[in-house]
Amino acid sequence: MAEDHDRIEELLAGYVLLGLSGEDAVEADRLLSEHVPSCPRCRDAMAGFQAVAGDLALAVSPAQPPDLVLPRIRRGVAESPVRRRRASLVAVAAGVAAIVGLAGLTVQLGDRVSRTEQQRGRLLAAMEALQQPGTSPVSLESQGQTATGLVEVSGPGLQRMYVIGRDVPMPSPGRVYQLWLGTNGTFVRVEDGGFVPEDGLVLLELTVDTGRYDEILVTEERIGDAPANPSHLGHTWHAFLAQPQAA
Amino acid sequence: MQGDDRLDLELHRRVSMGDGQAFEGLYRRYAPAAYGLALRVTGQDSLAQEVVHDAFLALWRAPEAYDPGRGPFRSFFLSLVHHRAVDTVRREERLRKRAERASNLERGPGEDVAEEVVEDAYLSTRRKEVREALQTLPPEQRTVIELAYFGGYTQAMIAEELGIPVGTVKTRTLAAMRKLRRALYRED
Ligand SMILES: [Zn+2]
Repeated sequence: MAEDHDRIEELLAGYVLLGLSGEDAVEADRLLSEHVPSCPRCRDAMAGFQAVAGDLALAVSPAQPPDLVLPRIRRGVAESPVRRRRASLVAVAAGVAAIVGLAGLTVQLGDRVSRTEQQRGRLLAAMEALQQPGTSPVSLESQGQTATGLVEVSGPGLQRMYVIGRDVPMPSPGRVYQLWLGTNGTFVRVEDGGFVPEDGLVLLELTVDTGRYDEILVTEERIGDAPANPSHLGHTWHAFLAQPQAA
Repeated sequence: MQGDDRLDLELHRRVSMGDGQAFEGLYRRYAPAAYGLALRVTGQDSLAQEVVHDAFLALWRAPEAYDPGRGPFRSFFLSLVHHRAVDTVRREERLRKRAERASNLERGPGEDVAEEVVEDAYLSTRRKEVREALQTLPPEQRTVIELAYFGGYTQAMIAEELGIPVGTVKTRTLAAMRKLRRALYRED
């Protein structure tokens, strides 16, 4: 790839220190979605700089927060929505080496051994879903960049939806991806629908009556925020869902 | 992987399942580091408290934002705190003079108040290594890192502050980050 790596690394170093602005920030964003995910050298540089940035925090002496901070946090925890088992919605580990091909959809998984049986189970379930009659994979269109894709898979009577992707860039620091479902142009945030890709891979499974929704959206949101409406910062993907025939 | 990293991973895994005790375990481990950092970057108690509060609640509400495949929990969480602190200071920038913050920056890392904190041994060991690594940088490189990281300055602001071209800020930053990386992760 004909990119100037010293220049890229300058941008990445500035990026992890939150020091970029203007054109540099735009350029870094472009590199992070188009180049870095598929370039081992840049991924390595990025990981190294991020680790340094995390540890730089330790150069400052620790200080005990005032006693009132923890009770305030506890109140926040108590007011947070009841938590479900999140295990059902996490990025799948780069697992079993497999290629799933159907209706133009190709999902290629890496070669690391799957971390848990559960993730393997989800992968198998997604593959099974793909083979059911009437299942319709839908490509989510990335807005602003074209290098990476997400695909939605659902089918009549399935009551489940899968979102699958590879080479998905990491969201900006301090943000996660958030899944939204839309009806007639109004989006609802999928509770617990925040995720980050793992080694660029995404495999989400959610239990949902897909017939109720006609659009799907993935946005970047600040970690821990629970916005009522999608923000349109950073990477976003969108698709209209195929209307399933009544079973 | 070190034992302490493994303990963090276990606590994080439990937080992901909604375990409040594990969450408080992570609070006890990281609140002093988080608060010290937030205090340094924002320069104000009330803002630092807000940063720590928001960062821990963000962790509770979206634990999946941490991907164990991408390095230690410590790096992830302290970066999250740093990010919020810089956001806060940039928001406040509009409300207060830069000069006030500049005077706050004159304290070098490690010279802050509130040394009376009991901290896990592994964190204080790491702390020593990080400070030593910073000390090995040539002063002009250390300055750009400190202005960016602890001051929340953009590279353009640093160039203006120091009266040097932005390109120089970029090369110094890269040189410093590469050195720090080699110093802190040489065994990896
Ligand atoms: Zn590269």
